[in-house]
Amino acid sequence: MAQQTIKVPSLGRVEGDLDVKVKIEDGVVVDAWTEATMFRGFEKILIGKDPQAGLIMTPRICGICGGSHLTKSAYALDTAFHTEVPPNATLIRNIAQAVETLQSIPRWFYALFAIGLTHKNYQSSSLYEEVTRRWAPFVGVNYEKGVILSAKPVEIYAIFGGQWPHSSFMIPGGVMCAPTLSDVTRSISILGYFRKNWLEDVLLGCSMERWLQNKTWSDVLEWLEEKEEHYESDLGLFIRYSQEIGLDKYGAGPGKYLAAGSFPHPEKFMHPTIESRNSALIARSGVYDGENFYDFDQARVREDHTHSFYEGTGSYHPFEGFTNPLDPEEGLKQGKYTFAKAPRYLLDNGEETPLEVGPLARQLMVAREGAEDWQDYDPLIYNIVKEIGPSVMVRVLARFHEAPKYIRYVQNWLKQIDLNEKFYIKPGELIEGRGFGATEAARGFLADWIQVKDGKIEKYQIITPTAWNIGPRDRFGQRGPIETALIGTPIKNPEDPIELAHIAQGYDSCLVCTVHAYDAKTNKQLAKYRVTNF
Amino acid sequence: MITIIGCGNLIRKDDGVGPILIRKLWDLGVPSHVRLADGGTAGMDVVFQIGKAEELIIIDACTTGAEPGTVFEIPGEEVEETPLENINLHDFRWNHAIAMGKWLLKNDFPKKVTVYLIEAQDLSYGTGLSPAVDESVNKLAKKIIRKVSGEEIEVSNN
Repeated sequence: MAQQTIKVPSLGRVEGDLDVKVKIEDGVVVDAWTEATMFRGFEKILIGKDPQAGLIMTPRICGICGGSHLTKSAYALDTAFHTEVPPNATLIRNIAQAVETLQSIPRWFYALFAIGLTHKNYQSSSLYEEVTRRWAPFVGVNYEKGVILSAKPVEIYAIFGGQWPHSSFMIPGGVMCAPTLSDVTRSISILGYFRKNWLEDVLLGCSMERWLQNKTWSDVLEWLEEKEEHYESDLGLFIRYSQEIGLDKYGAGPGKYLAAGSFPHPEKFMHPTIESRNSALIARSGVYDGENFYDFDQARVREDHTHSFYEGTGSYHPFEGFTNPLDPEEGLKQGKYTFAKAPRYLLDNGEETPLEVGPLARQLMVAREGAEDWQDYDPLIYNIVKEIGPSVMVRVLARFHEAPKYIRYVQNWLKQIDLNEKFYIKPGELIEGRGFGATEAARGFLADWIQVKDGKIEKYQIITPTAWNIGPRDRFGQRGPIETALIGTPIKNPEDPIELAHIAQGYDSCLVCTVHAYDAKTNKQLAKYRVTNF
Repeated sequence: MITIIGCGNLIRKDDGVGPILIRKLWDLGVPSHVRLADGGTAGMDVVFQIGKAEELIIIDACTTGAEPGTVFEIPGEEVEETPLENINLHDFRWNHAIAMGKWLLKNDFPKKVTVYLIEAQDLSYGTGLSPAVDESVNKLAKKIIRKVSGEEIEVSNN
């Protein structure tokens, strides 16, 4: 064994970054560009490999939502293989997907978002002292609770999936586990612990059922005043503080939304196909353009390459798309500026439009009328958007609102598992075919498009929620959702634009952001602001 | 109990040394008082994997410019002095895991911590290790097995 003295800070790992460039004029953001500075070539790795390679590879793309990657790559194979998936397997997949998102909610809030709320800009707020007492990193009383309890939900994932993150236990035809009664009862007790100790005692200050009675913004405001416990809960404090520091006034975003939906009904998706997916989902998919709802159709998804460091200038459906990176130096000459493609959606009127994805988008889709009695119908977030408009605050509320909903789902699904029935039905061999699999990661729409030929992967395209949200302009000059959300933001101190961090973190994009602020008139750089997670 | 955690990304070639080494240990077989964990790129969850261990071993890749495959054993004082600052979930390394672990687990944090870092040659997208790194993984796996089985006499550096 060689022994050498080394300096610790030099042992850095390569890590992708997102550069957000904004121009500020008279204290307001007037233009913005999101630049992903790293090529991520996961699709390239998969070409020529065994059709099931995606089950191993894609969960390694992310350390926070590897389970979501697994879910959609399993469904992409199910649709390509024409498998039969037993109800038990769908229940387990749904449980796994939901607990991963439950992990993300407190971890995202305490370890990422709330830290920005303790910024010195807000010292004059009457609530500042309480906010820092609770949410300051490492020393805040609820920071510690939130971080520690965030590990609980994924203990359930590990019971069924063997490990979390990066499990590969979902396979075409079902799941690779044979749970016992004690696995189920342990899961119920872990979930109950998380529910009581974080959701009810810390976040809500009331029972899960009481919170879920809220259907409108005025219900929420009444709930806030109803009891001191509500008013003083982390959610109560967040709502009051947001209104005091103006998080309800900016970061609206594009106002158009997409959700792939999630959680197929166990009896209604035993033969997964691309066509039957929408009608089998408990948490419904859809597109909302600010006025009307539309059914989601994967055939209308496009990726525009015009401003991305890839070959190509038009837009392509993922089955036709390709990922041939260009040297950024070369790309810059062609007016390209980022390694993210620009995902777009073809509306009925022929427009290709940018769409915001994430919890806000998801919670709008479930407000659409016409739900079956087994589907989620929930008008709360839709009503809030109608009443006060979208904003950083509303985006956070939508994320919090999913915690009680998902806990309730998982409680029910755990009870529905039939331990005497199958968890897996072996499919035939896949020689040729194409598949589409999608789910909702904590951050939003996540999908794979796979094409198999001669028993090998011929093409694989992944579209992540971060790509939807941080994508660049397209060939029509339309900005990506976060680019749009940044514009119009009032900046208190251009040399320390914390407001931009709130917006970027509100979208919970999967990349570390660095914000570069420039004076619009002089082009002078005003600030370089690294939006770290701590 | 001894917990061994391998960190890194299997689809960034040599960055996968941690998880690959964990698999090697599994294949070789470890005593029952040893718990193996594939930390992957999970950041904070590496910390939650420590559990109730008295001893912790972390394996990760590094890029110091040394010969590829060089194995570093981090000196005790470096492990002792891991400040709780500039931590970021997307760039979370062994030292952050230790700092955070001490904060989270407080008195339950393992009394003995050993960190092995293997110099990477190739961190591009793809799978599999460079030959020099692969060789070091095999050697280190055997060394760790001897260590946790109590067959290796520890020479104190003091």
